[in-house]
This record gives sequence, C-alpha cells and structure tokens, in this order.
Amino acid sequence: MTRSTTLLTLLAATTMLSVQALAADPIKIGVVTPLSGTYSPIGQQVRWGLELATKEVNAAGGIMGRQIELLFEDEEANPSVAVQKADKLFESQKVDFLTGTVNSGSTLAVGQTAERAGKLIATTVSFADSITGDKCSPNVFRVNARAGQQSAALAAWVAKQKPKAKVFFLGPDYEMGRSTVATFKRTIEGLGATSVGEVFAPLDNKDYTQYFGQLRQARPEVLYTSVAGNDTVRLLTQMQDFGLLGNLLVVGASGTVTSQNIGAIGSAANGFGTGVGYSVQIDNPQNKKFVADFKAAYNADPDLYGADSYGLIYFYKAAVEKAQSTETDKVRVAMRGLTWMTPQGEKTMRSEDHQAVQPMYVVQVREGKFNVVGDVAGSEAIGADECKRF
Amino acid sequence: MLSPSHLPLSATLRHDRSGLLMRASHVLVVVFVVAALVFAALGAALGDTFFLRLATEALILGGFALSVDILLGYTGLLSLGHALYFGFGAYVSALMLKQTPSFWLAMGVVLVAAAAFGFLTGLIANRVRGVYFALVTFGLAQVFAKVVYNTRALGASDGMIGIPIVPIELGVVTVMSNAPVAFFLFTLGFVTMLYAVSAYLLDTSFGRVLGALRANENRVPFLGYSTHRARLAIYVFASVVAALSGALYPMLRGFVSPELMFFAASGNAVITVVIGGVGTLVGALYGSVILTVLKSVIGTMTEHHLIVVGLIFMAVVIFLPKGLMGFVRPRVARLLDGGGR
Repeated sequence: MTRSTTLLTLLAATTMLSVQALAADPIKIGVVTPLSGTYSPIGQQVRWGLELATKEVNAAGGIMGRQIELLFEDEEANPSVAVQKADKLFESQKVDFLTGTVNSGSTLAVGQTAERAGKLIATTVSFADSITGDKCSPNVFRVNARAGQQSAALAAWVAKQKPKAKVFFLGPDYEMGRSTVATFKRTIEGLGATSVGEVFAPLDNKDYTQYFGQLRQARPEVLYTSVAGNDTVRLLTQMQDFGLLGNLLVVGASGTVTSQNIGAIGSAANGFGTGVGYSVQIDNPQNKKFVADFKAAYNADPDLYGADSYGLIYFYKAAVEKAQSTETDKVRVAMRGLTWMTPQGEKTMRSEDHQAVQPMYVVQVREGKFNVVGDVAGSEAIGADECKRF
Repeated sequence: MLSPSHLPLSATLRHDRSGLLMRASHVLVVVFVVAALVFAALGAALGDTFFLRLATEALILGGFALSVDILLGYTGLLSLGHALYFGFGAYVSALMLKQTPSFWLAMGVVLVAAAAFGFLTGLIANRVRGVYFALVTFGLAQVFAKVVYNTRALGASDGMIGIPIVPIELGVVTVMSNAPVAFFLFTLGFVTMLYAVSAYLLDTSFGRVLGALRANENRVPFLGYSTHRARLAIYVFASVVAALSGALYPMLRGFVSPELMFFAASGNAVITVVIGGVGTLVGALYGSVILTVLKSVIGTMTEHHLIVVGLIFMAVVIFLPKGLMGFVRPRVARLLDGGGR
C-alpha cells in the first residue's frame, strides 16, 4: 500500500518534472541552406542573420521562456539533398520550424516535405513568384520580397523618372531571364510605357555589340536588363565603349549589379537602378542598430539575405507568442496577418498567399555605391494574390 | 607443349572462376538483403521514418549505380552522363503519376520509353570509344539536362512538385509509397530483382561477348560477333535499369528536379561503383549504402563534407583498388570453393 503510494508519488513527480523540462526545452529551428558550393555566400548571410537574431532573442529570455536552438544542414543548393536534410530535421531532430532554403526548387520541394510532415517552413531568400503564387502551400511562408515586388517597385520609380518612356529589354536566354523580362514588361506597360524591342542573349555571352544596332535603332529612353554576374560586366562596359550609356536610363533585376561584380563594371555601372527589399542605407533606427551589430559580430555588411533571415526569427517569435504554442496549426493561424518589425521597417504577412508585404526601395549606383533614391509603399508593390490552394 | 587437351581444361577453369565469383556475389547479395531486413525490423520497432527513407533512397541510388557497373565493370564503358537515364525515368514517372496515380502503368511507360530513348541516344554514344565515349555521354546528359532546365512545361529550373503518393498493388498486399517500412521493403525487392536480371543476363553467352568486348574489342569480330550490336544492346539495357530505378525516386520524395540529371549525379554513381567494387554488381548496392549514409552523417557534422568524401574515395582507390567488394568477394569465393570440395 505504502509502496504503491510512493510509486505513484514518484510517478507523479517525474511526470511533473518532465512537463517542466518540456517547458524549458529549447525551441528547435532547422536551417537547410547551402553552406558549400556556388551559393555558399548566400548561405553565409542566412546563417549570420539567423544567428545574430537568435543571440538577441535568447539573451532577452527566448520565446515564452524557451531558448532558440538552430540546427544547420548543408543543402548544396540541390533540391534532392535539401529534401533529405529537411526529412532528417523533421523526423529525426523533431524541429519545430524550418528555414534557409535558397534556390526556389529547394524551397518548393522542402515546402512539400513540410506539408507531408505537418510542419511549417519559411524562406528568406527565394524570390520566384510561384512559391506564393500558383505553387503556394499552406505550410510555406515567405518573409522576403518576391520578384514581382522588386519589379513593381522599380517600374513605379521608372514611370516617375521618365513618364511614358520607350523601353528596350535585354535578357539572358533561359527560363528565369525570360520570365523576369516578361514580368517587368507587363508592369511597366501597365504604367503607360511602350516597349520598343527585346532581345535575348545566350548565357555567358562574350560579345553584346551584335545587339547594339537594334538597340540604337529603337531609340529607347530606358533599358531593362536581367543579365547577371560577368555578363553584366561585359554588357555595360561594351555599352560604355560604344557610347550608348548617355541619355539612357539603365535598370535591371536585383541580381544584375551586385557587390561582387560592381568593381569590375567600374564607372559603367553609374546610374544603374534596381528595386530591392533591403539596403544597408535604409534610414530607420532598427536598421542602423542591425547594421552596427552585424558589422560588429561578423566584420561584414549585411545584405538582403542577412536582413530577411534576421527578421525571420522575430517573425517566428511573434507568431509563437501570439499562438502561445509551437503547434503547426496554431502557429499558422498566428502567422497569418501578423505584423512585425524588421530592419526594413514594418512587414505584414498577407494571409491569402503567405507573402510578406513590405516597403520596397529603389537603389541607384553612384561611384561604386548603391544609394537609396526612392521607396514604394508595401501595398503598391505587393501585386495580386494568385494563390488558389487556401 | 600445347596439347589440345589443355584448351578445354583451362576454359572450364576460367568459366568456373567467373561462375564462382558470380556465386560469391549472390551470397553477398543475400547477406545484404538479410541485413536490410534486420534494419527494416529495427526501424519498424523504433517507429523511425528518416533512416528508413534515407535507406530507401540509398537503394534507389544503388539500382542506378548497378546500371553504371553493368557498363563500366562488364563492358568497359565509362559513362559520365548516365544520370540522364535516371533522371529520364524520374521525369517520365512523375509526369505519368501526375496524370494517373497508377504504379504499374507508370513503370510500364518508363520501361518502354527508356528503351526507346536509350536506343536513340545509344546510337549516338556508341559511334565512339574510350575517352570519347565518356565525353559524348557527358555531353548528351548536359544537353538534355539544359533542355529540361529551360522547359517550363517540365517545371524548368524549379522542377516539379506535387507527385502524389501512389498505391502499389502487389496482388495480396498494397504498398503505399509514403509508408516508410513497406516502401523500403518494396524497393529492396525491386532492386534485388534488378540485380538478379542483370546477373542472369551477364551470365548468358551474350554476357560473355560483353566480357570479350572489355578484354579486347578488336578481336571480337574475328569470332563472328557484332561488337556494335552487343554494345548497343547492353547500353539500352543499362539505360532501362537506370530509368526504372529513377522511376521510384518521385514516389519516395514527391518531386523531381533537373539536378537529378546533372553531372554531380552521374559522377556520384561512378564513385559509388568504384568504392563498392567495379565489375562485382553487388558492390553498387554496398557502395550506395555506404556513400549515402556517410554523406548524411558527415554532412551534419561539417560543411566540408565533400572534402571528407573525396579523401575516402582517394583512400579506397589507393588501398582497395578493386573496391570494397573487389576485396571481399574473392575471399567469399575461396570459402565457397573450399566448401564445395
């Protein structure tokens, strides 16, 4: 009798202990991101952004008294690897939430894995419109700006600079290149511009002068291009050599001129404008503090990937605190329509398609530096909800 | 010195030797299957999902590596683009399953389509030999991977998601492709069957012609065999084996992406075969399990996992030049031989 009572008391005590231990258990966030290979610089920014925010949140007491623990896995920018790693984090490590995927193929595939595992993921990098468009998933959220938002911000700014402009398009000849050109063309034509021609050059094209005759004949006021990397270097320097840059506003995708190729482009990059979701120059107290802390911690400037990944931790924190739980269904409801603070200012998660609405910025190159020259309100750049699954 | 009676004797001996080695391979496959069954029982008892799915993926990649070994180990053809057929099978299977989620229909279409595709591309690849064959197969895979990468109807660079979970009717039972234990067991059976068919084929007189091709291609026509036809036939067969393995991939993971056809996938299969043992067939299965598990474990520990895998590969090439099974198999064969006497 006494013995069984003792046993019962012991049992009750252990149960209570384990319940308490559960409350103090860390919240696990899986990070599947490229840590090796071509995309590793992006993965590095993702990692820094997440770690900085995690450090801050943990120092301030964590989420509902629980510390955040980040578990990193290298996805090699390959969806097959990403899915395998995500499966490991969901099933073996039992993570509460997952993020980090960079290329849109990985985000889509991991999103489906999450759906089948009954977990939530968010991307902070992938910008393919389809992720929160026709291939949207109730288990996938996006906290960064999608391609359509970048394009809309840029188009609004161009329309203000050169109303009813004649626009020429030059893209790289592959799927992404063609779709970015098509999106921008549709947006700018909607704002009153006229298209005067488009050409698609092969990837890794050496000689762009073959297109200059066509370009000159069309007499455009604006050139939109979505070439990237070393292609941009050749395109812009060759245009400068041929004297085509005077009187022409050159704008492009956010990956066209980056910190990696701006040095090689030199003065030919002057005046290039693009729409972005983030710039270190954004003038608000949150961003100033973020940039200073980021530099102090990693001795490097944050880019949009670092900033969006940093903001994600605060998004998840706000959602869990609102839901008072880490359960998938409760957190999903809490995330929908959630407004939270990020270095870019206030973001709102649109409940219809799980796409974050945020203020967009237009940056222009001057003497090797990106200057913020305009901004567009989040509601103007967001575009229509094209998600039909929920 | 050369009396006629020596010839048949040495011929029988050699035949015995290769027959013995093949039997050793069979024994090693039985060991493999038993180990896999123990693993499945353990996984089921512990309610595991991740390791079972990882092992299923290893088996699927093992089937793919098997097809590379058929070319490399038995015919002496190094293909650097064999992932083309693995990816082809995966894409055809994905497209079929999205239309009608019927396992047998999808597999049937993959079988026929892969044979036709393997025949057409084989006509191109088999025009050349040696290093040029490696380059042409590499080029073919690059071309088709790029086409898929840029074709919006095939999902372009994003690949295709939303491949449904399929029921696999096996007469008495129906296996769902998302049930970790059942689908693992099914894949184990399927890959074992691929092994058995390949081993049988390579043991026929056609298989002997392939062995002769590898040994001295110039001499084979003197014996009255067409080298071109034999090479093309085995190329088509290897394409079908790779495609049938690939067809299981979207059932397991629910998606396909162009990366499945990239050089990394082709190279990986060659590395698997070299680690497992070229020309042993069974080595492809062991190699695939070893490599997949190693990558998963090391990948979690360090982002420099590619360096570690590279070092292991180099160590195997230097210290076990015939691969793991190339080392184990002759010892098993000796045991079998001893047991026989």
